Amino acid sequence: MHNASLLTHLIRRGQYAAGGCLCLAGDCPHCLAIVDGVAYVRTCQTPHLEGVSVQPHPEGGLPPLESRSDRDPVLARTVHCDAVVIGQGAAGREAANEARKAGQHVVTLDSGDGQDAIGIYPGPLVVARTQAGMLHLYPRNEIVVATGAAEIQPVAPGNNLRGLVTARAAAALASDGIDLGRVVAVGTPPAGLDAVLATGEVVRFEPREDDSGRVGAVVVRDISGREHRYECDTVSLGLGLTPRDALLRMARGMNVRGVGDVLVTPDVPPCPVDGTVCPCSGVTVDDLRSVHARGFCELDLLKRATLAGTGPCQGAVCVPHIRSFLAAQGADPPAPFTARPVTRQLTLGEAAAGAHHVATPRTALDAEHRAAGAHMERLGGWWRPWHYGDVEAEYSAVRIGVSICDVSTLGKMQVSGPDVVALLEHLYPVPIGSLATGRSRYALLLDERGYVIDDGMVCRDEETRFTLTFTSGGSTFAELWVRDWAESLGLDVRIMNQTMSLGAINVTGPRAKELLARAGVESPPQFLHHSAADVAGVPCRILRLSFTGEVSFELHHASADSVVLWRRLMDLGADLGIRPHGLEALMKLRLEMGHIIVGQDTEFNSTPRRLNHEWAVRLEKPSFVGRTAVIRTNKVPLDKQLCMFEMDGEAPAEGATIRTGDEYGGYVTSSTWSPALGRSVMLAWLRVPGGTPGAAGLQVTVEIDGRPARRVETRSFDPEGLRARA
Amino acid sequence: MPAPERMFFTRIVATPPALDNAAWPADALVLRVAPDEALVVATVHAAAVPDPHAIIEPETGLCGMWIDMAAAMPFLERECDWELPVERPAFAQGAVAGLPLKLWFTHERVLCVVPAPFAVDFAERWS
Repeated sequence: MHNASLLTHLIRRGQYAAGGCLCLAGDCPHCLAIVDGVAYVRTCQTPHLEGVSVQPHPEGGLPPLESRSDRDPVLARTVHCDAVVIGQGAAGREAANEARKAGQHVVTLDSGDGQDAIGIYPGPLVVARTQAGMLHLYPRNEIVVATGAAEIQPVAPGNNLRGLVTARAAAALASDGIDLGRVVAVGTPPAGLDAVLATGEVVRFEPREDDSGRVGAVVVRDISGREHRYECDTVSLGLGLTPRDALLRMARGMNVRGVGDVLVTPDVPPCPVDGTVCPCSGVTVDDLRSVHARGFCELDLLKRATLAGTGPCQGAVCVPHIRSFLAAQGADPPAPFTARPVTRQLTLGEAAAGAHHVATPRTALDAEHRAAGAHMERLGGWWRPWHYGDVEAEYSAVRIGVSICDVSTLGKMQVSGPDVVALLEHLYPVPIGSLATGRSRYALLLDERGYVIDDGMVCRDEETRFTLTFTSGGSTFAELWVRDWAESLGLDVRIMNQTMSLGAINVTGPRAKELLARAGVESPPQFLHHSAADVAGVPCRILRLSFTGEVSFELHHASADSVVLWRRLMDLGADLGIRPHGLEALMKLRLEMGHIIVGQDTEFNSTPRRLNHEWAVRLEKPSFVGRTAVIRTNKVPLDKQLCMFEMDGEAPAEGATIRTGDEYGGYVTSSTWSPALGRSVMLAWLRVPGGTPGAAGLQVTVEIDGRPARRVETRSFDPEGLRARA
Repeated sequence: MPAPERMFFTRIVATPPALDNAAWPADALVLRVAPDEALVVATVHAAAVPDPHAIIEPETGLCGMWIDMAAAMPFLERECDWELPVERPAFAQGAVAGLPLKLWFTHERVLCVVPAPFAVDFAERWS
């Protein structure tokens, strides 16, 4: 393919302007150029097409980041096959033929044909860049790497001049009819090309007198130490081979094998004395000596300290010389760098080919919210209405009249079976067996370390059937948690996650019962009870609970009915001043009540005691997940606690720092202005100062945003919780 | 390309033997989505599933659409990391275009079923 490459065309036309030793094999960075606006293109691996635009990379800087948006998206194609053979030299062709004879479906890749395997991932998955887009190859049986060996590049002063080529590249250019002029060969001479042989190690390359960018002579030192100078137009360098084994090394542990020269033992060149070792990052031999003297004595440390090997050629040029350098310092030549995808530069379009952003689910009421002018946000892993334009009015509807809120995002799960009580007794730190049918109970979910991982309601539907609810963001994990425990305990239960199947609308406010009565529910369930009933003609499970602090009924229903139910409730409550409320109003409502949100107000190590939720754990239960850890950690002096604060003036930002005197005292997790109290309320983690362990050490007055704030033991709004139970 | 529309299924979680021996309605399409779970495009009564603890619920949280095979395969082959079944009929499920899909392949058509919360994204990505 050399005769068709863009680089060959540029050399033939005298338009190749960069310097450095050309390999024509995709190993070195010297032929990189901006081609049709795309930087870092290996012109030696790119077919020449008429009309193509080629610009060199700017000297001393990075190529500009293309900002065009009119490019077609790069397509990705997925192929399932039996084997992938990477490299189509003699060894690769033989491997592919053998596999085909065995009846296997083989996909071959060859960089000479513009197919760059850029990485091997667990799966196994081979990702390749082709002229037609990205290829995602899933081989069932094996991957064969036959990528051969690269020629070692010279490190000596002047190795950035034009006119330096590897021996294979010299032979290829000559066979393509390129006039190389007077050729001096150092090391293995080029095949089929007349060249003056220069025996010895390269000392330096000297520029021509009439062209300082092009080589005019090479100086070598023979075995006796004498230097010899050879005038030339081209220097052919046959300095040894190093395997192109990055793909093999990144695929350790997978069913991948190498064949051919990729398995050769790497030649170790003479220790570099002077010149540039890493042309990509501009690292010199002096740089290596400098960082080595400062203690960076291992290959990977040298890489990190100098950035050698981090450029476009990914160490193909510099690694042999750095290994040689380290060997000269007394170490065995170290193994090459850790290899990771990708081995080639990709455009952002190529990297993104076939990928999709993570989709955010929408409730059945999503269009309804948007039509009502809701400001939608991604919250708890869902699209949710943050507000509908008037937060104060939304808040007031809940506190004074009636309001509805889309809570379809809450985790919802049915669990049944002969062992269901045993399972839930094990999972929850509150009694389950004593929960009567039709009753509900708030419960934390703890892990084995006693840390709170979620919370929700446990509702007993029948003797051996329960409905569980979880937080919006925690439902997927909760399902895995429940399933894992059921399986590991060998319990006979059935589990159905209905989070995406059921809609849920919370009807809340002092006039919520009135609205339900209009919807046909004359006898709604009492506080912490639940029942089944048709609401405005829609079959629902009604859960009586409260997160807002007001009378609340969660209506769980088939999500296909959500829009009908929502509209009917809005119609029925029109003269009651009903309006929907979004999460911003809900934050105010729940913070006035001091209710936590797991995830927002909790940390990874929040125990019930730290959360001030010891009331939600019944240690008299003989066994539940986290019990042992809770008992143990309860004996440790309390170091921090989630506390409720109030302060005058506007609410501080969530995350605001708390100061206790001159010391850091914690931070705010949730905050809002309370219309009911006329001051700001917040939840915050408060550290117990050293020397005063225990809750008694918690400061009562602190500073937040430089303003005084008071810790309150009991919430100021409806401290008895009478409104919710009304 | 039409957008997927809500479909009616009955969703059953029961012991695997109970699902193996269930008396499904005649000619009903039954998708066995897990050893202990099935989706049936028909109403299923409790008596049909020999497991007293089975959870049997109407399922309206799924959207689906039938697509001609010729139109579906280029999209599916491009957007599936996993290997599509070649036998017919066949059921398969997994990520397609980054979304959780269930696929029922017949000789001529494929039924694509997506959770309703992702139906909008599915319609966008299909186009």
